[in-house]
Formats: sequence, structure tokens, C-alpha cells
Amino acid sequence: MTATTSPPPAPTKTAVLSLHGISKRFGAVQALSGVDFDVSSHEVVALVGDNGAGKSTLVKAIAGVYQPDEGTMEFDGKPATVHSPAEAQKLGIATVFQDLALCDNLDVVANLFLGRELYNAGSLDEVTMEKESWRLLRQLSARIPSVRIPVASLSGGQRQTVAIARSLLGDPKVVMLDEPTAALGVAQTAEVLNLVERLRENGHGVILISHNMSDVMAVADRVTVLRLGRNNGTFDVSQTNAQEIIAAITGATTNAVSERASRREQSEEQQ
Amino acid sequence: MNPSPAAPGSQASLREANRLRVLDALREQGAMTQVEIAGSTGLSPATVSNMVKELDAAGAVELAPSIRNGRRAVLVSLATGNTLLAGIAFGDRDVRVAIATGPRDIVGRHRMPLPASHNADEGMERASRLLYDLVDKSGKTMSDVKAVGVGIPAPVDSVTGQVGSESILPGWRGIDVGDEMRARLGAPVVIDNTSNLGALGELRCGALQGVSDGAYIKLSYGVGAGLVLGGEIFRGSAGTAGEIGHLTIDENGPICRCGNRGCLETFIGSPALTDALMGSHGRLTLRDIIANALEGDMGCRRVLEDAGRHLGVAVAGLVNLLNPEVVVVGGQLAQVGDIILEPMRRALDRSAIPSATASLDVRLSDLLTGADVVGAVVAAETLHAANDNLLVTIASTS
Repeated sequence: MTATTSPPPAPTKTAVLSLHGISKRFGAVQALSGVDFDVSSHEVVALVGDNGAGKSTLVKAIAGVYQPDEGTMEFDGKPATVHSPAEAQKLGIATVFQDLALCDNLDVVANLFLGRELYNAGSLDEVTMEKESWRLLRQLSARIPSVRIPVASLSGGQRQTVAIARSLLGDPKVVMLDEPTAALGVAQTAEVLNLVERLRENGHGVILISHNMSDVMAVADRVTVLRLGRNNGTFDVSQTNAQEIIAAITGATTNAVSERASRREQSEEQQ
Repeated sequence: MNPSPAAPGSQASLREANRLRVLDALREQGAMTQVEIAGSTGLSPATVSNMVKELDAAGAVELAPSIRNGRRAVLVSLATGNTLLAGIAFGDRDVRVAIATGPRDIVGRHRMPLPASHNADEGMERASRLLYDLVDKSGKTMSDVKAVGVGIPAPVDSVTGQVGSESILPGWRGIDVGDEMRARLGAPVVIDNTSNLGALGELRCGALQGVSDGAYIKLSYGVGAGLVLGGEIFRGSAGTAGEIGHLTIDENGPICRCGNRGCLETFIGSPALTDALMGSHGRLTLRDIIANALEGDMGCRRVLEDAGRHLGVAVAGLVNLLNPEVVVVGGQLAQVGDIILEPMRRALDRSAIPSATASLDVRLSDLLTGADVVGAVVAAETLHAANDNLLVTIASTS
């Protein structure tokens, strides 16, 4: 190690998911250009940026909703391509979208196993599904009174919990949460943040998209800032503060990009 | 809880266990209907119905009419009477809130992670909203909360009520937390250092019960101590007693956040532990180190053992000065138990005078990370009792 005052926030763990030079164009709009992003297991990476910075496009590219025009994706050290959300899920990338996509009229068990119900001799295996539901919810130390009540009667935080529990069904390596604390009360936010910490401790890589700087700073290990479809810096949360990140989001500082570029040149020179 | 007199495995002990399960579920999740209790405890609805009837007769729960899914239902909540006490404990990285009817009877609790160098406004805002939410969930209103104990992880000036140090909790510098919280909560507030509150919690219902001279060491992101002398918390002339984290261990050591050199905290505080592991393990959080050490990771264990050794040297000074009966170790790092306690005991034996260590008992906290919240509730109770007495005296004199 060289004795620099601020060590580069390069991940020392091997990334479970990494994206290189991702670009995506919608007609005249260049939504993403040359974006790099990575997340390791046991790590929470926050993805932040202004409206239209390309967060959602990047999330959808990872989740298999969009195919990027350019760029490569590596999962678990091997090159991977995802052509559909189902493929991403099979690969081990689970996504909880902002609208949660829960069926209000169904109970918790039915929601968790929607589309992948368990069968026993031709009929639904309710017992196993209910047991599995409780196991998942306990793993998250979730506060759900009953798994047999319709999701409509749960609070915002509890619904978020159910959506996250559902994403954990296939035992994914990476969990992506899109704005999980938007429109939640403070107690529910606390619940979700505790949940993010628990996901991290259970060894998942967590990608957290959020606008709330204090939520991000409370649970994330690193913060990746997008601005106008480009990387505008990756920050190590223990070495930075909210002001610096907000400056990068708004474009008050763009030196993060040049810093990164110069660092890369340096490391290439060393090699 | 009362120890169950019933023989293990008998019907009576099963019933007792089920009763505790129902109470635990109510404490964990707030007020619920009987059907919901059945769902969350796994007991049959008939059993729950019996339990609730018994608990109601014993005055342990309160029943209120309610509606669920358009049907009439009975909402069951823990009995609180009309006196509710609250405890708020700020940590470096989180805030924990509890409401209770007494130090041993926590009705509900909540925890929220906070950013590393959050400012006071943000912390207090989130804490008070968590408290409002907890009170609401237990079916009460804020006017039922008679007193609130607030702990912050920095010295509190007992004269001005302000955060005493310029540099220990930068976001909270010079703020009168008591006044601010009083305005936000509309209830009497007492404020103290979390280490003192931890000691208070252990003194009332933890490992320091019945101890006249002892110390509570809080090991989390920073290090602090709460001193118990003659069965009372000793705060010093301005409330900064027990700042063991800023004892000088090495005159030429690294600069500490307090501005001095070589403080204990520069050796065993969270930044020191994570920095020591940076080269070999990469970026870890305190919680990672604890989890890894418990799973047997040699590097993490070594770092914690070294921390225990340094702690032992510092505590030896305290033992020589005060000759306590019991030293209790609590806070986040207490979760690793003997990994830290054993080297600490050895260092103590080596550094303190033998007559002081001969009678010394080094224990793990009974309440682990909850000691400071419980202590905050104890402080709230004391404040409430004092206010009550005051009202009685005013009423009797007028």
C-alpha cells in the first residue's frame, strides 16, 4: 500500500456483480453512457442521483428489463447476459421495485409464492408454503402479525418486508431495492433499514436506490453517484460526508470523475 | 419475570411458557387482536382466548373494542395504566427507543440506524418520531408519557445540560438536548451520558444489582464507563466522570478525536479496529468484526483480543483508584464475550494491585446492548417520581 492520505475506495472483496461501460440509448436520449458499477457480497452499495440521472435505467438493465446497447456484465466472476427478468432471477439477482407488485387481495403466503406455488400430489402444498413463509420472515426478524391476512391490511413497512421476503425465495446473491423507504413513516423506515443491515449480514450484496441521504449514509458501505447518465464518483461512506455526495449528485463537483480517471491511469501505469 | 414454580414438562409449565409467548408477542408487535396473536405465536385461537382471559383477569393486558376486516374484534395490549415512561439512547450509529411501565416492563422498543456523523437535529427528529409511533402503536397518546430519559454518547455537562465536549460528538456540539427534546415531546426530559445510563440500567435490573461499588464499561464505537459508588451513579462535579475512553495509554500514540494523544479509544474504538483489519480483510464494520470473530475468524479475534488487553490496562487504573467489587462489560462488543473478557482479565491481573483484583469480579452485561435504554427508563422513572412528589407537596402546602 502506498501512503496516500485517502485510499481509493476500491473494493478489496471480489465483486459478485460488476458492470463495465454500460450504455443505453432511447432514441435521442442517451440514458446511460459508459457506466461502471459493482457490488460484493456482504456489502450495501447505494445508487444515488438526480431525476433522470439513469438510476432506474441501470436498475432495469441489471434486472433484465432492458438490454444495454454496450457494456459487459460479470456475475460471480463469469461473464453473464440477462435477456429477461426471469433470467436475472435465475442467475441470482432479485429486485424489489418501487411499486412492490403485491396483490392486495391475496394473503402473505400467496403473495410470496405467486407464480411459483409448491404442489403436493396435484394440490397446493399450503403447509410447506406457510412454514417457508414464516422461515423467510423470521430470517428478516420481520414484524408481521399473521401470514394468513390479506396484504391490504398490512402497513407500508410490512408490505415492503413481504416484497423483500419474496425476493429472497430463490436465495439470490444480489438484492436490489428501488426506493424502499419512499412514502414510508419513520418507524417503517427504521424497519426497512434494519432489514437492509440484516440482508448484508446474511451475506447478500444489496443495491439500494434512494433519495434520502440519511438513510443512505446510515446503512450503505459505498455510494455510487450517477449524473446525466455517467458515473460521477464512488464514495466510501466511512471516508465521506453527505455534503460531498450531494455535491456530486447536483454536479457541483465533477472532479470525482477526473479523479477516477487519473487513478485508473495510475494503476495502468503500475501494471 | 417470576420464576415458574411448575415442574418442567408439566401442563402448568407449558401454560406458563405460552403465557410468556403471548406477552412477548404483544411487547414485540404492539397491540393485536386475538386472531393475530394466534398467527404470530403459533398457538391455537382457543388457547390464545384462554390466555387472554387469564391475563386480563390478572391485570396484565388491557382489552379494547376494535374492528378488523370489517368485523368486530377485541384489541389486546399490554396493561400500562396511565403512566408510560420512555427511554431514548443515541449511539454513534443508531438510536434505540423504548416505552415501558417500569424498567423491567418494556412495552415496546424500536431501533433505527443513523449515519456516522449525523447532526443533532436529524437524530432528535427521528428519535421523537419513533417514540410517537411506538406510543401510538401501544394504543396510548403522548400525554400518557410522564417522563423521558435521553442518553447521548458524549459527556453531558450537568451544570448547563449541554453536550460537554467540543469534539466527541461533532454534530451535537453546544446543543441543549434536554430543552430541544422537551419541546419536541411535550414531556419532562432527563438527559445523561449513555455510559452512566448503562450503569444505571445494570444497577437496577442487570449485573450490578445489589453492588455498592462497581463500574459499567460500554464498548461500542467508542468506549465509556459509568461509575457506581455507594450504590449511586457517580457523575463528578460537571458530569464527565468515567470518560475512560480518553485515558492516556500511550503518551506518543496517535491523535484522538478529543484532541489528545494515545487515548484508550485510539486503540480500541471502532475506527482503530476497522483500520487494523483494513489490509487483510478490507473494509469491515464493527458488526462484521463481531460476527466474524464469533465465527472463528483468526484476524478479527486477534484484533478483539488486543482490544481486551488494552482495555484491561486502562481498567486496571480504575480498579486501583476505586477498588470496585464488580466491573461489567456491555455495549456492542460485549457480544463476543470471552474473546475480549479473557485477555482483559489477564491484563487486569498483571497491571492492577493484587489486593484490588482479588475481590474483583469481571462480568458480562446482563442486558448487552439494551443496558442504556433500560437505564434511560430508570432515569425517567426517577424523574417522574420526583415530579409526582413535587406535585404532592405543592398540593399539600396550598
